[in-house]
Amino acid sequence: MKQTLTQSMAWLHTWGGLVFGWLLFAIFLTGTLAVFDKELDLWMRPEVPAQKVEQSQALQRALEYLQAKHPQAERWNISLPSERSPTLGVSAGNQRRGGGELLNPQTGEPLAVRETAGGGFFFRFHFTLNMPRTLGIWLVGLAAMAMLVALVSGIVIHKKIFKEFFTFRPGKGQRSWLDGHNASAVLLLPFHLMITYTGLVIFLLIYMPAAVDALYGDREAFGRALRGAPVEQQAGRGGEQGARHERAERPRAAPAPLAALGPLLAEAEQQMGPLAGLSIDHPGRSDARIEVRPILGNRIELTKGRSMLFDGVNGAVLRAPAESRPSQLTQRVMAGLHFAQFGGYPMRWLYFLCGLVSSAMIASGLVLFCVKRRRKYASEAPAARRVSHLIEALNLAAVAGLSLACIGLLWANRLLPVELAQRAAWEVNAFFAVWLLSLLHALWRPTLRGWGEQLGLSALLCMALPLLSLLTLPEPWAQPLHQALELTSLALGMALAGLAWRVYRRQEAAPPLPRRGAVMQEAL
Amino acid sequence: MAIIAPAWWPVVCRILAAIVGGYAFTYACTAALARVLPLPAADAVWVASLPAFALYTLAMLWAFAARSLWRAWWGVALALPLGLLGFWPLLMERLA
Amino acid sequence: MMTSFFAGLLLAYAGMAALCLGMERHFKQVWQHLPSPGQRQALRLAGWALLAGSFAACVLAWGWAMGPVGWLGQVSLGGFLLLMLLPYWPRLAVLLPVFAAPWLGLVGVIQG
Repeated sequence: MKQTLTQSMAWLHTWGGLVFGWLLFAIFLTGTLAVFDKELDLWMRPEVPAQKVEQSQALQRALEYLQAKHPQAERWNISLPSERSPTLGVSAGNQRRGGGELLNPQTGEPLAVRETAGGGFFFRFHFTLNMPRTLGIWLVGLAAMAMLVALVSGIVIHKKIFKEFFTFRPGKGQRSWLDGHNASAVLLLPFHLMITYTGLVIFLLIYMPAAVDALYGDREAFGRALRGAPVEQQAGRGGEQGARHERAERPRAAPAPLAALGPLLAEAEQQMGPLAGLSIDHPGRSDARIEVRPILGNRIELTKGRSMLFDGVNGAVLRAPAESRPSQLTQRVMAGLHFAQFGGYPMRWLYFLCGLVSSAMIASGLVLFCVKRRRKYASEAPAARRVSHLIEALNLAAVAGLSLACIGLLWANRLLPVELAQRAAWEVNAFFAVWLLSLLHALWRPTLRGWGEQLGLSALLCMALPLLSLLTLPEPWAQPLHQALELTSLALGMALAGLAWRVYRRQEAAPPLPRRGAVMQEAL
Repeated sequence: MAIIAPAWWPVVCRILAAIVGGYAFTYACTAALARVLPLPAADAVWVASLPAFALYTLAMLWAFAARSLWRAWWGVALALPLGLLGFWPLLMERLA
Repeated sequence: MMTSFFAGLLLAYAGMAALCLGMERHFKQVWQHLPSPGQRQALRLAGWALLAGSFAACVLAWGWAMGPVGWLGQVSLGGFLLLMLLPYWPRLAVLLPVFAAPWLGLVGVIQG
């Protein structure tokens, strides 16, 4: 392997980019959709009423409901309606998630909401690929490292970064693909680097436990050290859980009325910004405790686990919200930069659009790989040609097929019967079934035709989404967030249709590529 | 910018040097850095760990850019002294 | 907030357009003749000034911590939009900020 630096970096960029590109496109596209996970979630639960209700009023309904249904529970959890999600959720018992119920925030009646994979599916797929959590996290981490390597090696082999900063020459085949790939990579380089690095930093100590191993010996010791040190005020969750445990073993405290929550919430909101929810330990007893949590995104720092603790009877502040020490704050700010919960909807849109361009950049790299090879088809040995065609098919399924599967999930949400058992799992099955079918289709159809058909179908499904709501819902467009989502889908569908149209025209103009069947016959 | 497809064995060696060797090097480097930083342990953990992915990226690029396979693995060999530096108090404890 | 957000976006796009026109190749692409050295200098200067203005607008919209993050996003996306428009409608692409400015004023008035 005697080559120049540029040559070895080009080889690495080309092949590393191809092998991880399929995975990276899936990670980037689902991550981009997960920017609007709550909005997708709401769209997938169309039974949630559209009216906006004040948090205090919703809280009152929740308390009445819990008082009536779970007066003896050790713990009440309430998630309040907020700007992004007008749902009111309650649960009793020790788990914060799952097993809860959604209430109508106006009347306090439980809502019959369809079971759905929800927007959370895209979020979980983004970092676990729907695999067992640990395996998925490591695979995604490896792909993210490949992305970093591809970005840096891409900079090394791109010789005219500044000269071609704004250069895009469409309609020139390979030249155009290279231009588009380069320019979208260079123009959004800060975003690509930031989103990839901060994604890795979220699981920093899982991926790179060296420092913990060296200084603390084992990872539990580090966790204890973080929670134990009083200056750090990390006590938050761990300390509380320990204390809760002790309390649970003590005899039940005497009954006592719950403190008025209005002023409590006002104080918490003043200190932490808009609120997401609260939990009440031992409601109706003298040792009641109220923990109030802010929504993520009142600051850049990822504030998961941040909360204020109040005495549940006299309303005194037992614990102010913790502040991170500077070193850990750095990690949390980086994680927060990835989660994009800050800066409101304008920032969310910037992330969404940047994510779309990133996905397109990866896809253009994948296409470029094939466009370069296509010219050599005729002179290739049959075995190599078969590999080329397999790569073409995988490209098509990874890019257009995944887009089809994503919009397919939304269609499955509306089309599957509402009373179906295991409905959420069936939605996910539908997602993977569509993806698999797209792969089979890609293996069967000639390349350009396959692209045209899959892009065209995705475009159609995206554009017809408002129509689907019209046909399947009694009040299709009552929710403003639904309208926004369906308009966005319409716009994306039009962009996809434009792409499909270009592929179609290109196919008419270009000399036909060797048909896959013919190639297979030759190979045999 | 021709795509050069070398025989598979050196390529596999490079990939291993990059992914496994690079990780070993980064791991040892992070441990050593955490040990030598004049900071409280709780801070040193974060400060030493945060640049790890940049280091890993460079290590991987080095494995592919190195002129010969031997040089690619050289970098990995650095992991041993660095690891010793990072872990010597723990090793002493184990041995004692 | 919305006004400064859109102002930032507009300024970022305008800044990228000016920097782009400051390059011989793209100036020629749009106006079919080469720029004088003075023109190029002025366009580059204007480009950086507009980007600085965009930064200020982002800080107004989001504050000092989040502003720079939003600014980088706006500059990148502004540049990307320009990249996509330039080969198809070169004059429209560089004059877009001029057409868009009145609309921004409208948003400003509505938002108060």
